[in-house]
Amino acid sequence: MASVSEMYDVGWEEMRDKLRKWREDNRRNSEQIVDVGEELISEHASKLGDDIWIIYEQVMIAALDCSRDDLALTCLQELRKQFPDSHRVKRLAGMRLEALERYEEANKHYDAILQDDPTNTAARKRKIAILKAQGKSTEAIRELNEYLEQFVGDQEAWHELSELYINEHDYGKAAFCLEELMMTNPHNHLYCEQYAEVKYTQGGLENMELSRKYFAQALRLNNRNMRALFGLYMSASHIASSPKVSAKVKKDNIKYAAWAATQINRAYKLAGRGTKETKYSVKAVEEMLESMQITMS
Amino acid sequence: MLLLKLCILIESRQLGVDIHFSPETMPIQLTSQAYCKMLLHAAKYPNCAVNGLLVAEKTKDRKKDSEPVLCVDCLPLFHGTLALAPMLEVALTLIDTWCKENNYIIAGYYQANERKKDSRPNQVAEKVAARISENFSDAAIVMIDNSRLTMSCFEPIVIIYDHHENKWKSRDVTLDSFEDWSEAQKITSALLEGRSYENLIDFDNHLDDLRNDWTNPMINKSVLDLC
Repeated sequence: MASVSEMYDVGWEEMRDKLRKWREDNRRNSEQIVDVGEELISEHASKLGDDIWIIYEQVMIAALDCSRDDLALTCLQELRKQFPDSHRVKRLAGMRLEALERYEEANKHYDAILQDDPTNTAARKRKIAILKAQGKSTEAIRELNEYLEQFVGDQEAWHELSELYINEHDYGKAAFCLEELMMTNPHNHLYCEQYAEVKYTQGGLENMELSRKYFAQALRLNNRNMRALFGLYMSASHIASSPKVSAKVKKDNIKYAAWAATQINRAYKLAGRGTKETKYSVKAVEEMLESMQITMS
Repeated sequence: MLLLKLCILIESRQLGVDIHFSPETMPIQLTSQAYCKMLLHAAKYPNCAVNGLLVAEKTKDRKKDSEPVLCVDCLPLFHGTLALAPMLEVALTLIDTWCKENNYIIAGYYQANERKKDSRPNQVAEKVAARISENFSDAAIVMIDNSRLTMSCFEPIVIIYDHHENKWKSRDVTLDSFEDWSEAQKITSALLEGRSYENLIDFDNHLDDLRNDWTNPMINKSVLDLC
């Protein structure tokens, strides 16, 4: 089988840089990481300097994702040799046990870390991940809530909790988590847009109006967020066709929806340059606008 | 055309899921294209739940006890969080229009859950399927059995649920559930080995970049080439 460097005509530096970029973006493209990383480690280890340790960690986790226990063990052993008493390496050993579904042993590993260092957040989060893997959503949610009482600034944890709540259809609590994230990250258009989606799903006129406002806010933060644009259209349309709103609110929301529809149209035209798919989407948008007018009258 | 309104309520419901019965509803059949795209979608996102729609050709007169419903294509929708309404509504609306242009009808819904050993339809699956049933009475839920997903695809790994007496019940999946199982097996296996799933586009990908085509013409062509 051809090597990565042969197939893509890249040198080891490019492979190393690619791995770094994937680390920085926190990407889970495990198959690619294994392909690139395995080659880098086996052929160019000596050139990598101290980078090699973080690469071992990255490749090991990717290897676990791909059921490559052989590769994962190799990486783990190198890391153990270099950092014999490290909690960070112990956590990786725990993750390997998780991958092998040996959850009790993995939990023992993490408990040992926490005995030694009760503030070790990584071990605590892995224990919650085990609960999630076992389908114990209620316990996972409870543990994560407890964790967040102590580590209130952990954004990754707030986001994980919001997802757990969404999967349990507890949209009110999911919204609360996203509110925490929006407060600390007011410029993040993704949190705004997700919050709007949760509010929309909760339903009811008040939530729909909030939803529209947050879709609009997400658009202000990033005018290319298509979900926000579609969301603005949908929420405004729903409000406009509700029998409970005043004439003015109806009129305003028709305006918002019409604006959104135009923008959606424009975005598709820009993207499609007349391809077949665009025509259908443009047509769908036109039909959506029409149907809304029918419900207006 | 009506806006399809989908409300996912917070109520918890008893899931009526029983195993193996003799259905009176029309059984669905999968083409190779429909089957392989479902599996490619699941394979692309091994750490997420994924879902999508199955479409059949619209026929003028649908008689019961005549031929089974042939699902000719599959439209991958989302990966990750499936339980939010707005983008789902958008997708259903756009796909509805697309179906009308192509003389298709949405006939089924598929889902692969996040966890390997979990292959039961959940509230999301039931809600979407209920919605589809309003326009197509024989709508089915197709669940992917993650624990049996392999590269070689030596056996079918879907579980098909029909709505019967207000519950969703699974039926035996036989080779008759496929238009041509050996073709489906061959094509799916080849595309999985060739990592074609890296190029599969779902509706989420489309929302990230409108140029991404959720009808997957390239993969459809690959399927055709392998037939």
